[in-house]
Amino acid sequence: MLKASGLYKSFGDKHILKNVDIAIAPGSITCIIGPSGTGKTTLLRSLAMLDLPDKGTISVDEQTFRFPTTAEEIDPPWPKLTAVFQSLFLWPHLTLRENIMLPARGRNATAEKDIQGLINLFEMQQFIDNFPNEASIGQRQRVALARALMLNPRYILLDEITSALDVEQTAKILTKLAHLKERGIGVFLITHHLGFARRAADQIVFMNEGTVEEKGGVEILSNPKSERLRQFLSLTEMAS
Amino acid sequence: MSVLDILINYYPAFFKGLGVTLQLCLIIWGSGIVVGSALGLAGTRSPIWVGLPSRYFSFFLSGIPLLVFLFWLHYPAQAMFNLVIDPFYTAAFTLAIVNIFGVADVVRAALNDFPKQYLIAAKVTGLTREQTVFKIQLPLILRQVLPPIMLLQVAMLHTTLFASLISVEEIFRVAQRINAQIYRPVEIYTALGVFFLAVCLPINGLAYWLKERFTRNLSEQ
Repeated sequence: MLKASGLYKSFGDKHILKNVDIAIAPGSITCIIGPSGTGKTTLLRSLAMLDLPDKGTISVDEQTFRFPTTAEEIDPPWPKLTAVFQSLFLWPHLTLRENIMLPARGRNATAEKDIQGLINLFEMQQFIDNFPNEASIGQRQRVALARALMLNPRYILLDEITSALDVEQTAKILTKLAHLKERGIGVFLITHHLGFARRAADQIVFMNEGTVEEKGGVEILSNPKSERLRQFLSLTEMAS
Repeated sequence: MSVLDILINYYPAFFKGLGVTLQLCLIIWGSGIVVGSALGLAGTRSPIWVGLPSRYFSFFLSGIPLLVFLFWLHYPAQAMFNLVIDPFYTAAFTLAIVNIFGVADVVRAALNDFPKQYLIAAKVTGLTREQTVFKIQLPLILRQVLPPIMLLQVAMLHTTLFASLISVEEIFRVAQRINAQIYRPVEIYTALGVFFLAVCLPINGLAYWLKERFTRNLSEQ
């Protein structure tokens, strides 16, 4: 279980996370929804231990990290816990294939075979040997996801990974996430696609102003308890 | 007397001058690249204690014409401390200082501007410290610093000519002395120009090639 309790995070005098509790079970998909600027990405970065929380605890299976602490004092369980960001952070001097293979070498004994499977699944044959700046955003998103999947993580944190994908590619990601779930991987996904969340999620977490306003199964999308979630859903429906 | 005749008749003197120029270059280039890179790195690691003084001194140096700096170290500074130093070492020291701070500026800027997201990606994908340094940081930083450092070294080679003004017997001074004997300025300075073209153009060419080859536009669409 990836579990965070009582997380607080501030930048200067801006309190971004306020007493956030969240749990992601292996083999489940948790979708984080909410308006922009409510701390979703900060929560992801805190869970990934890239931005250390000011207060609280994060447990990754048997390992527990208590905060406050310094980066030197902890040894985050990367890439057992890995992340794919909205800005994809592909290394620009390596081809897309090398971007996927560099971290996988030495960690994944069947890397050569696995990458071929991912190339086929995400239809990357045409551009896999290009450099990142020669690929479209949608192509780079698929590569970034493939890079994370090659590491056989136990928990994967995804920030808006379908934002630049077309319907067909989004459907493929959805299928892939279902595969990940079957393989026992816990998925934490920030998304603005409510339809995607509705179909993929086991748990929906609605964040508002740095707190978890409401969480539950997909039923909270059709029957929200909080007024703020109701308002958010209504505006999102109107916009789409 | 043609350029070739002059080169044939006076080649021992030219070679001697060339030897002095190359010695100067080796000292200036070697110290600049090694000490300058170390200073640039130290400036990034310790921005307050090393980086700031280094930047201030570099800024201060940029305000002094090289010739004034060289003459100041050759005449007033030595007179003040009652020292007599071989002009070769004064020239080597002066030009090395300029090169060291020039290289340090390039290295420090490249390290400070290194995009942090590439290191974040290295962390979450579980790359080791060695993999991050050798596969991600160094290749990207070298691509950025190599061309400007090479161009700076060519500029430093040009500045070795200033050493002739404090009586260092480098190639320009040799050319001046030969011209004083035979008065063939066109041929002599043409020969000198050809020499500098032959040495500098390949280095410049290599720098531009590296720039074209490795510092292609990496920005994403």
